[in-house]
Amino acid sequence: MPIVIWQLIFFVFPLIFLVVLSFWLVKNYRMVPGFDTINWVKMFSKGYFWDAYWRTLGYAGVATIVTSILAFPCAFALAFKVSPKVRRWALFFLIVPFFTSYLVRTYSWQIFLNDNGIFNTLFALVGLGPFQLLNNFFGTLVGYLTLCLPLVVVLQLISLANVDRTLIEAAHNLGCGRLRTVFQVIVPLAKIGIILGAVFTFILTFGDFVSPYYLGGSKPPTLSILIIDTTKSGQQWPRAAVVAIVMIVTLLTIMFASVAAAYRKRS
Amino acid sequence: MSDSSSSRPLVTFAGVSKRYGGVTAVHTMNLEIYEGEFLAIMGPSGCGKTTSLRMLAGLEEPSDGEIRLDGQRINEISSVERDTPMVWQSLALFPFLNVQKNVEFGLKMRQVPAEERQARASKWLERMEILELAERDISQLSGGQKQRVALARSLVTEPRILLLDEPLSALDANLVIRMQGVLSRLQKELGITFVYVTHSQSEAFAMSDRVVIMSQGRIEQLGSPKEIYRSPASRFVADFVGANNILSGTISQAGENLEIETALGVFQCDTGTKPAHHVGDSLDMVISADLVQMSLDDPNTQNSLECRFISEEFVGSIVTLFAELEDRSDFKIQTRQRDLAKMSLEEGDTFFVSWSAADTHLISSGRHLDA
Repeated sequence: MPIVIWQLIFFVFPLIFLVVLSFWLVKNYRMVPGFDTINWVKMFSKGYFWDAYWRTLGYAGVATIVTSILAFPCAFALAFKVSPKVRRWALFFLIVPFFTSYLVRTYSWQIFLNDNGIFNTLFALVGLGPFQLLNNFFGTLVGYLTLCLPLVVVLQLISLANVDRTLIEAAHNLGCGRLRTVFQVIVPLAKIGIILGAVFTFILTFGDFVSPYYLGGSKPPTLSILIIDTTKSGQQWPRAAVVAIVMIVTLLTIMFASVAAAYRKRS
Repeated sequence: MSDSSSSRPLVTFAGVSKRYGGVTAVHTMNLEIYEGEFLAIMGPSGCGKTTSLRMLAGLEEPSDGEIRLDGQRINEISSVERDTPMVWQSLALFPFLNVQKNVEFGLKMRQVPAEERQARASKWLERMEILELAERDISQLSGGQKQRVALARSLVTEPRILLLDEPLSALDANLVIRMQGVLSRLQKELGITFVYVTHSQSEAFAMSDRVVIMSQGRIEQLGSPKEIYRSPASRFVADFVGANNILSGTISQAGENLEIETALGVFQCDTGTKPAHHVGDSLDMVISADLVQMSLDDPNTQNSLECRFISEEFVGSIVTLFAELEDRSDFKIQTRQRDLAKMSLEEGDTFFVSWSAADTHLISSGRHLDA
């Protein structure tokens, strides 16, 4: 039973407290325990809340698609085109980025992407730019990729490396060309890893505040930035709790739907 | 097909070799496979039988030599372009497609319209007696059912040749016999060429018109099952196929009534009308375990030996007896259970084995000499 107690203390109780908190009141910048649906009504009736909600959903969705598509050729090459030795080294280098703080990596992108950064300097050499690479969605996306790409490559790689090579040969043997085999056979076989990678990207980017804050310029806000803003402005922890609960429910729904799709027997 | 040698070869291996680094898996192989024959390629693991089949399917590229299909060189034609479907040992069915979709796969790749695809797949499922399983997942099928799906999937494009790589090795014994019947009948009805790779003698002999025996990348013998069983061409084949006793010796008397001197005595060999051999030639004398008579009393013939009973292996009505000769070498006898029971042998008992001079078979330095 220790696992149950552990779950209760670190997972269930904080969640219950979060829900309870969302019904408290704030009077004279101080929280007062109570039961009032005012926070829910206020948040749900605000246009900026819904704007932030769809924006965050959109950002996470685009990040998920871009990350999955960028990761696939890399994972595919590592799974099928290189020797096991190279694959082991590649796996090691994919894990190395996690040794350094995500915040530090984000800060270094700030230096690379600003108007006098290396990219704009290089563009200037060929008479282009400067391009705005920071304080917009592009900057945010670069941050999201920094956060997720290595992880997604690893997840896809594990799935692709486990694909039964005989099935690939069988596809060729039955007249399925190389590129077609990738989409008709390899992708369905590696479906679990691909979906898992996408789910992780969605979860991490949906809740991330570092990239939209430091690379995206924090405006317009995502839900995580909205939480920070709400707590800063007048100690509105209960309203921040409402945002947090909405985020949790959204993520749980998407996660269960994806996992169900991943483990469904047939495509 | 008994007259296969008169028809034109569908597949030709002309001096085909396959090397992996320093290892030669297949060594200058020459083989003609005829239209409509059931050919088994048999040998121990690592003999090059699967590599040969894979080269024919285009899954491996020959290092040397030429493979021809219908007279055309196909070395450079990719597996995708060849119509040489294969049934794998693991069957290689697509787990993410149902039975129907698996069978339709090859047709879909050939841009056959959906309606026709469905009709042709259904026809094959019906032929394989699994039409009612069309909507099932692969994971819901039994071993024998998967086998039938794999066959339907490979044959749906109506190829002229089907390659099978130990497809029955994962099934239990009863099912193997049943599937052998299915495969045999199918091949005869379709009249197409089956090339069947196996390490199992019973599978190879039960189904094929001709058998290729391979060892260490080379063809040891090519012939009908009966030829290979009764007249092994080399010591390797004699050891690998059937249950043979092999006595090594030299010719002590040449001519019509050949005599061989071995460590256990001098034995007679009837070589029929084959050319005479020279005195002093060394050779191996093969005595098939099923052509040996047993008796408790000395039969007083030249071709007999005394031996000691060690153990028996009971397989249905036929028993294999393991005995030991006076020089402690093994001797195998296959006899009917009924005949053995009459002798009531106990472990360690001595008895006599004898055989007819006409039933001995001689092998000399890789080539065979007798009738």
